[in-house]
Amino acid sequence: MGILSQPLCSSASIFGANNLNCRQPLQIPHGLNSFIFKHLPSLSFSFCTSLSYTSVLFATPENQLDLGVDSDTREWALQDFYSLRRDVEITSQRVEETRESAGLKLLEQEIANLELKAADSSLWDNPAKAQEILSTLTDVKDKIKILTEFKTQVEDAETIVKLTEEMDSIDIGLLEEAASLIKELNKALDRFELTQLLSGPYDKEGAVISITAGAGGTDAQDWADMLLRMYIRWGEKQKYKTRVVEKSSGEEAGIKSATIEVEGRYAYGYLSGEKGTHRIVRQSPFNAKGLRQTSFSGVEIMPLLPEESVDVEIPEEDLEISFSRAGGKGGQNVNKVETAVRITHIPTSVTVRCTEERSQLANKIKALNRLKAKLLVIAEEQRASEIRQIRGDAVKAEWGQQIRNYVFHPYKLVKDVRTGYETSDITSVMDGELDPFIKSYLKHKYNMTLSTFE
Amino acid sequence: MKLSLGSLYRPSRFPLLLKSYPISRSRRSFCVSSLSSPETSLKPQIPLFLRPPIYSTTLSDLRKWHDWAESLASSVGSTFEKSDNGPDSSLLCRELKWLLEDAVEDHTLVSQMGVENDRRVRMRAHVDELYNLWKQRIQERRPFQYVVGCEHWRDLVLSVQEGVLIPRPETERIVDFVSDVVSKDQELKRGVWADLGTGSGALGIGISRILGSEGRVIATDLSRVAIAVASYNVHRYGLKDIIEIREGSWFEPLKGLEGKLAGLVSNPPYIPSKDISGLQAEVGRHEPRVALDGGVDGMDALLHLCDGAALMLKPGGFFAFETNGEQHCRALVDYMENNKSGSFCNFEIIPDFAGIERFVTGFHGKAI
Repeated sequence: MGILSQPLCSSASIFGANNLNCRQPLQIPHGLNSFIFKHLPSLSFSFCTSLSYTSVLFATPENQLDLGVDSDTREWALQDFYSLRRDVEITSQRVEETRESAGLKLLEQEIANLELKAADSSLWDNPAKAQEILSTLTDVKDKIKILTEFKTQVEDAETIVKLTEEMDSIDIGLLEEAASLIKELNKALDRFELTQLLSGPYDKEGAVISITAGAGGTDAQDWADMLLRMYIRWGEKQKYKTRVVEKSSGEEAGIKSATIEVEGRYAYGYLSGEKGTHRIVRQSPFNAKGLRQTSFSGVEIMPLLPEESVDVEIPEEDLEISFSRAGGKGGQNVNKVETAVRITHIPTSVTVRCTEERSQLANKIKALNRLKAKLLVIAEEQRASEIRQIRGDAVKAEWGQQIRNYVFHPYKLVKDVRTGYETSDITSVMDGELDPFIKSYLKHKYNMTLSTFE
Repeated sequence: MKLSLGSLYRPSRFPLLLKSYPISRSRRSFCVSSLSSPETSLKPQIPLFLRPPIYSTTLSDLRKWHDWAESLASSVGSTFEKSDNGPDSSLLCRELKWLLEDAVEDHTLVSQMGVENDRRVRMRAHVDELYNLWKQRIQERRPFQYVVGCEHWRDLVLSVQEGVLIPRPETERIVDFVSDVVSKDQELKRGVWADLGTGSGALGIGISRILGSEGRVIATDLSRVAIAVASYNVHRYGLKDIIEIREGSWFEPLKGLEGKLAGLVSNPPYIPSKDISGLQAEVGRHEPRVALDGGVDGMDALLHLCDGAALMLKPGGFFAFETNGEQHCRALVDYMENNKSGSFCNFEIIPDFAGIERFVTGFHGKAI
């Protein structure tokens, strides 16, 4: 597939170097279908006015209107135009490739099929199914709309380039418009490509992040707390709704564990690659001798599935359900808000715990829901069609795998051991700047899937 | 709701049984005497989370309170746990989070504490009251459920207040037993069930929701506070057509239903009198003794219930009782086998989730 061979943000770098001084606010057209209509008449018009301006402006240099236009004209040398033209060509090719690899023809066929189903009079006999059909239909339509917009946008830019060539003179406003159009378009293509990488069945859902302090005592508990903050900050940056639903504090500092629910589209898709063991190396503030220390924390990611959508039946005898209850004689003798529930799926040893709800039954329902979500994800990862086919031994190895190192001392480096992606800007990473890691992992994963198909 | 009152009532039976338990009886008669002014019906307290959000405070003031409350909770450490198996700091912090949830109208704003300090939030209690409530929680060991006025139990949120036992998570299981039994026997599902000593109404309400619209439940209690609170909870869950709250001691309000009950459940007082003083402070100092103290060996009410069950249950009727543990369960089964020989069958002793043998269940009459 061509998607991945393209550099991301190709236009941004070119125009970054040009350092455009856009004194007039640029208009980035939104309704692009109507762009040609609305803008082409004004296109020729503005061309003329701009030309006439130029002649007038040279005559009266003190006119304040000239300042911007004049210097911009000089900046927009012919080579800039060539570079824009080349950029438009590259983007046009990228749009073509994207449309092709997205299977535009198939999508149109799918719409026809879905519309047929949606029109069926028996549609609402099964409301859940109907909902599914309608939401798929909306998704596919949205996708086609985006792909169509890509084409109109790049055609708009091409029109500007052609017009400029024919007129044999330069209109800065127009060229800037084309440049910004291409820039925005490339960003949109980046985003589209990323969502293309997120095609797993649960990628669109929200996510549950659970963090557990691992080996390393207080230092590890502090590390778990740092990770908690990192993911909350990441969620805020993405404008996701994040909620810490459970947090159990460490004795001295930090946390033993925490659970965050992240609501928003594609949260699971982005975060799914974060699961695994995160390792920190630093001069620990909790180490009396100030020695370098290594600690670990585990991160688990599960999709946040609406209760009714989890359609899995697990035989009761496969479940081991334990309730925490703090000692004593129990019953009327004790009153503690200890309602934690822990469920183990015996065949796979997959375990979940739920403590945040205020009644035991509520915790049990929620824990069971999480367990099902986790099993569904594992089944999908292992390409198993049923929960029964999950290989339990593989789960443990995979979910505990060390995925990333965060070195604070003796040098600063965050490095993902799977993709090799690294940065020395550890402060930003701890502030939730995770996107480069997430993107490189998603691409890495995508390439892996491609290679297993070959 | 209409119940047939046709069958024979033997008035001598119950007073006779009650006479043999002077301690609990004298305590109860005190309560009964207070019932004698029927003109004022007790008004139950509204749980915090249902009160109107008529107060308002800034996020920074709320945060100030929260930080204070958190440090108070942390200062407890494990001292309560060591002295009487009370809650430690981490459990108290969990309660604090829930108190905040109940007190703040839109608790998604809570995560903004420390970010948008001037923002005002609407509250269901004044901040000053929150200081008081948390002081009561930590210094007086007032149970969290009384502080917020509710307990989350199964899928219910039940109103509770001083004078009513706070339903325990263990007791949730009894509803599961009933659910299992009625799923196998439709006739039991359509019969009349009784929850004796209902307290907040937890078991009665839980069972009503299992039985559905065909079911009938009578929940009884001696305490007027319990009657008021249970009625409030029944009303809140819209179960007035299924469950009827009746005031009185154990079987007294069930006159005329002898041999007619499809099922009987109870979580009666079962703690031996000598153990009461050593209980966790939240329980011993604040919960009603009448709901906890089961007499010298804790079996007074349980034995009384067994006697009554033999009389009240119809053939094939089901019973489930909660007990203080293994010894109680054995003693109860022994008592029923020896003293009520033939009237009960299919006994089962079922452990709670902590592995303590907690419940005795069985059937009346014919073996199944």
